[in-house]
Amino acid sequence: MNESYTIPIGPLHPAIHEPITLKLEVSGERIVGVDVFCSQVHRGIEWIGMNRNNAIQSIYLAERVCGICNICHPLCMVQAIEKAAEIEVPERAEYIRTIMAELERIHSHLLWAGVAAHEIGFDTVFHYTWALRENVMDLIEYLTGNRVTKAIMMIGGVRRDIKEEGAKKIKEGMKFYLENFKKIEEIYLHDPTIKMRTRDVGILTKEDALKLCAVGPTARASGVPKDVRQDFPYAAYGDYGVKAITPDVYNGEVHGDVFDRIIVRLLEVKQSVDIINWVLDNMPSGPLLAEKNLVKLKIRLKKAEGEGIGRVEAPRGEDIHYVRLKAGEEPFLSWKIRAPTYNNVLPWIPMLLGGQIADVPIVAASTDPCMSCLNRVTVVDTDKKKEFEITKEYMHELSVRKTRRLMRNGR
Amino acid sequence: MMMNEVWKLLFKKPKTNKFPAKYAPKNVHHFLRRVQSGKAKLVPPVPTPPDFRGKIKYDIDSCVGCGLCAQVCPSKAIEIVRDKKWIIMHCKEGATLAAPLKIKIYVSRCVFCAQCVDICPRKCLQMSDEFLLANENKLDKSLIVPGP
Amino acid sequence: MVDNLIHLIEIIIGTILVGAFGILFGLLTKGIDRKLAAHMQWRIGPPIIQPFRDVKKLFCKENIVPRNAVTWLYNSAPIICLASTIAVLLYIPLGSIPPVLGGYGDVILILYLLTIPSLAMVAGGFASGSPFATVGAQREMVLMMSYEFPLATTVIALGWKISTLHPGSVAFSLSTFARYPVWNIMGPFGIIGAAILLVVMLLVTTGEITKVPFDIAEAETEIAEGLFVEYSGKNLGLFYLADAVKTVVMASLIVALFFPYNLSTYLASHISLPTIAWQTVDFLFYLFKIEIVIFFAMTFIRVSVARFKVDQVVRVYWGYLTLAALIALLLIALDVLL
Repeated sequence: MNESYTIPIGPLHPAIHEPITLKLEVSGERIVGVDVFCSQVHRGIEWIGMNRNNAIQSIYLAERVCGICNICHPLCMVQAIEKAAEIEVPERAEYIRTIMAELERIHSHLLWAGVAAHEIGFDTVFHYTWALRENVMDLIEYLTGNRVTKAIMMIGGVRRDIKEEGAKKIKEGMKFYLENFKKIEEIYLHDPTIKMRTRDVGILTKEDALKLCAVGPTARASGVPKDVRQDFPYAAYGDYGVKAITPDVYNGEVHGDVFDRIIVRLLEVKQSVDIINWVLDNMPSGPLLAEKNLVKLKIRLKKAEGEGIGRVEAPRGEDIHYVRLKAGEEPFLSWKIRAPTYNNVLPWIPMLLGGQIADVPIVAASTDPCMSCLNRVTVVDTDKKKEFEITKEYMHELSVRKTRRLMRNGR
Repeated sequence: MMMNEVWKLLFKKPKTNKFPAKYAPKNVHHFLRRVQSGKAKLVPPVPTPPDFRGKIKYDIDSCVGCGLCAQVCPSKAIEIVRDKKWIIMHCKEGATLAAPLKIKIYVSRCVFCAQCVDICPRKCLQMSDEFLLANENKLDKSLIVPGP
Repeated sequence: MVDNLIHLIEIIIGTILVGAFGILFGLLTKGIDRKLAAHMQWRIGPPIIQPFRDVKKLFCKENIVPRNAVTWLYNSAPIICLASTIAVLLYIPLGSIPPVLGGYGDVILILYLLTIPSLAMVAGGFASGSPFATVGAQREMVLMMSYEFPLATTVIALGWKISTLHPGSVAFSLSTFARYPVWNIMGPFGIIGAAILLVVMLLVTTGEITKVPFDIAEAETEIAEGLFVEYSGKNLGLFYLADAVKTVVMASLIVALFFPYNLSTYLASHISLPTIAWQTVDFLFYLFKIEIVIFFAMTFIRVSVARFKVDQVVRVYWGYLTLAALIALLLIALDVLL
């Protein structure tokens, strides 16, 4: 059976819930070649931010880049604007942002764990985890007013305070997760069939993770202690002192496989619970917004000139927003989003090579891909039918050229 | 091990939220009509928390028509319109009869961010806790605030 | 001549009745299975009559044949699959009602017939001309080859034991299994052996009706329902019915091999009822036994484990289950020798 044939996974496939195409070269059950095709949809989010919306409207647009990361995208964008317009954020707002970001991490990781269980055909665990996730969703609804789109970020602070009642609810919620963490751990890390399906599957070595710039839990599971909250702290993380979680914290060894990614994510849920508890206990009092009057804020943003970069550790990895403002213009002059999935798609190739077809869903899911974040990449024109490889040097040259172009526009 | 857990779950009450009925009705309109006539029972939805962001409420009388809400609305759901009632406006040139500026909100476009509520200088916008807004018609009377 | 004709008509009517029973009860079983599985997953699940609605809907839908499919094979595969599954049911006693074709075949024939639905599915998969279906068909073949051996070992071990005790009887006929229930004729070693064989048989059933963890051939998240990826409308409905009947067939086979007990044999001396009433009671008891078997062979297993990979399935069947079946065979042999 040396004859190989191609199986297309995606753009519509039950394993990958969002549009991306994987062309698998398969010999029997074994995968001998992988090719990834991104950018099946283009939503023009950056274009809207640069042409139609003013900065305040763009917060809600950034929130809708991805349904799950709807704290980290606006947080990241807001940070970039604050740097560009030189706005000081009050301390209490920073702490509330931290709580929201960590609540989001809990819900995102539990959601991911459920999806991963579904991908390996373990629907009971899927339903079970999602039932546990309801508690954090209710908590988010209580704190922000809606379950999914939280709409709590504002340039220069946050829009809602956490009152005493809210703090009590958060404490209760965190207690619930600490109690149930044992159960989740028992299911995911000790169930023999889950271990059978995930141990030594989709291995990403540390070298590959560094070479392909993997971010977030994907990189950490390969033993790269890389975490924006630790390396470049923002919000209240600097006060807490986050430590990146690698799988050797749990059992002293790093395999870089899917099972390690489960370990990292589950431990991060626990870490998030700790962070939220700490932040609640050490919350300073003070104002929520740097500029309470939204009309004044709008005028100030219109006058502002400059550029800023926001970096946030999203549940999936490092998220970067670049914003450039020009005086006298309400829309951004330039807005660039680099979502974590963009980095985490390339590592699929070394992960999948040599694996089986049965591994594809769980390996793809193990990086927690989010195509709605990813798909803002320019498609390379293939009309010339010329095959060429983009080398690192060429890529660098392209990047330099693009930066120059951005800078020229800025002037 | 899930094997032990499933036994426990088998005898546990399901976590499913039974809204609007235990099994999805064949025809929702028919079901709602039966609920109204008291023949069927509607399982109520989960209660909303305080400060929930639901369908927008608009107090047309205290609105001054400044249009700030339309400027910050991310989905352009707010349209500035002339009021139907003509009033006597006192300007420099004297009193004239004019229709003042008011707004019209298309709830089918609304993203429920409540930014307009925050920016309104007269506090005439508010979020209610109404969230059952599904409708076949985007321009239904119930989805345009204020109503006709 | 007339006798033959009457017999033939009897068989035809019996076949229709058994087919209707298999389909209706199979769908009901599916509904109960879905309900129980849902409760084990902390949710309510669909109403029990949901599978009937599903089939009704599928039969209303359009039948789409892909352009590069082998049309005649593609369309005939579901019919062969359903027909051969119902044919197996004709050889299995339903409670105390003797099988319609009882005199014409034995367990060995059933073993052979059981492969036909799978083969029909494989043929349909290859005929649909889709890479996913091809992968699914390959996997189904692997699965079929894997569970065949433990299944055969189980049947042979039991039949051999009966034939050594009662040399005069037709060893592999299901009526012989019914006359001498397995547990009554075994010694202590034999009982352990038979218990192991029961477990093996339950796991083989899970594979035979392709449910998690052995549903590699139609793994939804991996190869998008594999074999059935191109099927739609009536063809898919027929496969659905075949799956429902197959569940009943496999459960009935386990009941016939391991639990051929009838209430009438034990209670008839205490309570006097007309024969037809006893047959009804036995039939209901048989349905109850089937539900219990299905709960353990299908519902419970499928909610409590993850799907295996192909190599893991092969390892489970060829490795662990074959080993278990051989050990059971040795135990039973020990029982015979002692």
